[in-house]
Amino acid sequence: MLARRLRSKFPALSRRWQTTASTTAIEPPPAGGHSSSVASSQLFRITRESALRTPGISWQDEESDRNIIGGRETRKMNLYQAVRDALSIALSKDDTAVIFGEDIAFGGVFRCTMGLAEEFGRERVFNTPLTEQGIAGFGIGLASMGHTAIAEIQFADYIFPAFDQLVNEAAKFRYRSGGHFSIGGLTVRTPTMAVGHGGLYHSQSPEGFFMGASGLKVVIPRSPIQCKGLLLSAIRDPNPVIFMEPKILYRSAVEQVPIDDFSLPLSRAEILIPGSDLTLLTWGTPVYHCESALRLLNSPPPSLAPLIPPSLRNAKVELIDLRTILPWDVETVVESVRRTKRLVIVHEAGMTGGVGGEIAAEVGKRAFLRLEAPVRRITGWDVPAGLQFEKFNMPDAVRILDGIMETLSY
Amino acid sequence: MLRSLSVKYSPLLTRIRPGGRALSSQPTSSLGCLPTTDSPVVSKLAFFNSVTGDDSKIPSYRVLDGFGIPIEGAEVPEISEQFARRLYENMQLLPTLDNILYNVQRQGKISFYMTSYGEEAAVIGSAAALADDDEVLAQYREVGVLLWRGFSLDRVMAQCFGTHEDSGKGRQMPVHFGSTQHHFHQISSPLATQIPQAAGVGYALRRDPERRSKNVACVFFGEGAASEGDFHAGMLLASTLPSPTLFLARNNGFAISTPSSQQYYGDSLSARGPGYGIDTIRVDGNDVLAVMNAVKEGRRRCLEGGRAVLVEMMTYRVGHHSTSDDSFAYRGRQEVEDRKKIDNPITRFRLFMESRGWWDKTEEEELKSRLKQDVLTSFKRAETLKKPDLAELFSDVYAEEPWNIREQRKELAGLLEKYGQVWEPWQNDLKIFKDEGKKLAD
Repeated sequence: MLARRLRSKFPALSRRWQTTASTTAIEPPPAGGHSSSVASSQLFRITRESALRTPGISWQDEESDRNIIGGRETRKMNLYQAVRDALSIALSKDDTAVIFGEDIAFGGVFRCTMGLAEEFGRERVFNTPLTEQGIAGFGIGLASMGHTAIAEIQFADYIFPAFDQLVNEAAKFRYRSGGHFSIGGLTVRTPTMAVGHGGLYHSQSPEGFFMGASGLKVVIPRSPIQCKGLLLSAIRDPNPVIFMEPKILYRSAVEQVPIDDFSLPLSRAEILIPGSDLTLLTWGTPVYHCESALRLLNSPPPSLAPLIPPSLRNAKVELIDLRTILPWDVETVVESVRRTKRLVIVHEAGMTGGVGGEIAAEVGKRAFLRLEAPVRRITGWDVPAGLQFEKFNMPDAVRILDGIMETLSY
Repeated sequence: MLRSLSVKYSPLLTRIRPGGRALSSQPTSSLGCLPTTDSPVVSKLAFFNSVTGDDSKIPSYRVLDGFGIPIEGAEVPEISEQFARRLYENMQLLPTLDNILYNVQRQGKISFYMTSYGEEAAVIGSAAALADDDEVLAQYREVGVLLWRGFSLDRVMAQCFGTHEDSGKGRQMPVHFGSTQHHFHQISSPLATQIPQAAGVGYALRRDPERRSKNVACVFFGEGAASEGDFHAGMLLASTLPSPTLFLARNNGFAISTPSSQQYYGDSLSARGPGYGIDTIRVDGNDVLAVMNAVKEGRRRCLEGGRAVLVEMMTYRVGHHSTSDDSFAYRGRQEVEDRKKIDNPITRFRLFMESRGWWDKTEEEELKSRLKQDVLTSFKRAETLKKPDLAELFSDVYAEEPWNIREQRKELAGLLEKYGQVWEPWQNDLKIFKDEGKKLAD
């Protein structure tokens, strides 16, 4: 088709690594927030060897049938640099690919598109007027012509004007035309979740609203390597994908990231820490609070020790990152719960109508007789994200710890 | 201080006429411009409210009068007799199709229909001015564009009856056509959603080396849909990025029961065009030659400038909004009858053709009879066809089939196996599908 013809006319740059400029110049204090608990996580792959061995990596270069990692390089990147790296690869290899949204051209309010307008030109990396419904509609139109449309919604809190275009049009595009029209080339990126000072309108996690929009995919990465691989998969997936990037991780999450073109699979959850006594399922920023909760459980500090029964301290909790929220990896989750018999789900979004309810119902159906405790959801409360109260609204390590203990001792 | 202000401004206030002040009557400024703009500085406090510059209404472009005679100074396009016949035949095919399918709905054989009565010139005239491979995104009253492009009556029937021949696999209500072959994007019910999409389609054309400067994206919408935020979004994007998108507004006077006087306050949609900085024209939508001229020139400007162009076609919705509407609940029959007599797009063009010696009564009768036969033949054929496989209920949601849809499909398959042979309502309902429900288990 058209897209393929264009790609064959402009062969991939063989020395693409020269064009990805480092963006680690001195910068003012981060508007995107910073989390020290995230920054000190053991879950990041901070060596070249561990990064190259990321499970599920599928190399996308010309020699991808040889799964050789020997000569491959990695570079230290935070999450926004990983986004940028993925976008640069996408535009290098696919001439129909364009990136657009508010403030994209100068580099983006979170620096995800730094230097891309200079590298690929203003016809391919450009600002749109301030209209989310327009951005989504425009992206759908582009994608309907077989082009790769990478749209940005500046904050997930502002995705709602685009809701009609995404739910009524994008999700149903293939189905309503009997498969003759489709918009697989559409990817909508958006910063999501709390950042420490965002208040009601810079902290939301709207993934739950899209669960009913069958036809869409929703993906949420937890780290730079995950972000780059999942974003490249999302861009290339033949379905429209909403890619929600936890904004507090833009600077706080740092890893060695392979600089080559690679993808990670969609609709596959990842077991980060294997366990046998309880399944702890989450995605995005709470992954790190869960990690902290497990540390507190296994080796509690003196102040908490009296509240943590010694019998529970040896519990082996299996930590799973869901990664793709829709369609979600029911197999991995249920297989885990059938082993551990207990499930705790953690998400920032509010309890009612959150994704946790959907997962709990499905797991309840498939593992009912195996469960030894009700599925427990630890979430933001059913309130808007009040500014001063954020620390007690979003689930933190202690709240997660408490929920784990309750479920273990049910 | 305040007193002197009131003395200074009261002469100004008495000079303001109803309808707002025009800027063209102000003296040119010798005071320079605002920084980094071309906006001249003035010292007199004055509001403006006119697109034309002198309080007059935006004019409407016309070629033929109510009797098909070129008006004074008319720019009659050079068309061959053959082309004129093709125009006329399509302008007659449309209401012939509408007559039959409207009645077919009344008989309960299809669930819904929308007619194009009164708008034949607007739709056929614009279709005739476009290239066959210009990408068209329509609203719902533009099947005339498909007919012009050769979309078969069989395919019209397939979609309206939702048979297994429908490219849309029977998923949408009647008149929600789509055809990749005819560059006609699939219709969807939500209004105006196609407008920013068209700006994106135009951008794709702009980016494609093989289609740039050859094709435009052309989007149709009514004056009601133009109230949606998506209209504003689409106009902004196509004018600002820009992208070669031709905006064709069918102003037919009604959005279901809402007359245009309750839809907007400005001088119709044309007044908005200059607000976006784009070339705009308002045209007599019931004059097929005027529509053709205007859309042709609009298309040319759109291609040349690579930017949005707006053509507003003033017409009248003679029929009801749809088969779910009885428009006599909100307008008098006399108003409709009058419009059918004094401003009939088909009559106006027929009179023009007759004046050229290109048409007569015999040909009129022959045409009407042939078209009616063609429509009836495809209708009768469509009536006999089965609906798509019931399995198509579950396909095409994603490019591949995810676990949840696969499980749900199998669940329904299981239920059909258990109850389908013994429960009469299901037995009857299953018979209409080509696979009778059997392919669900695959």
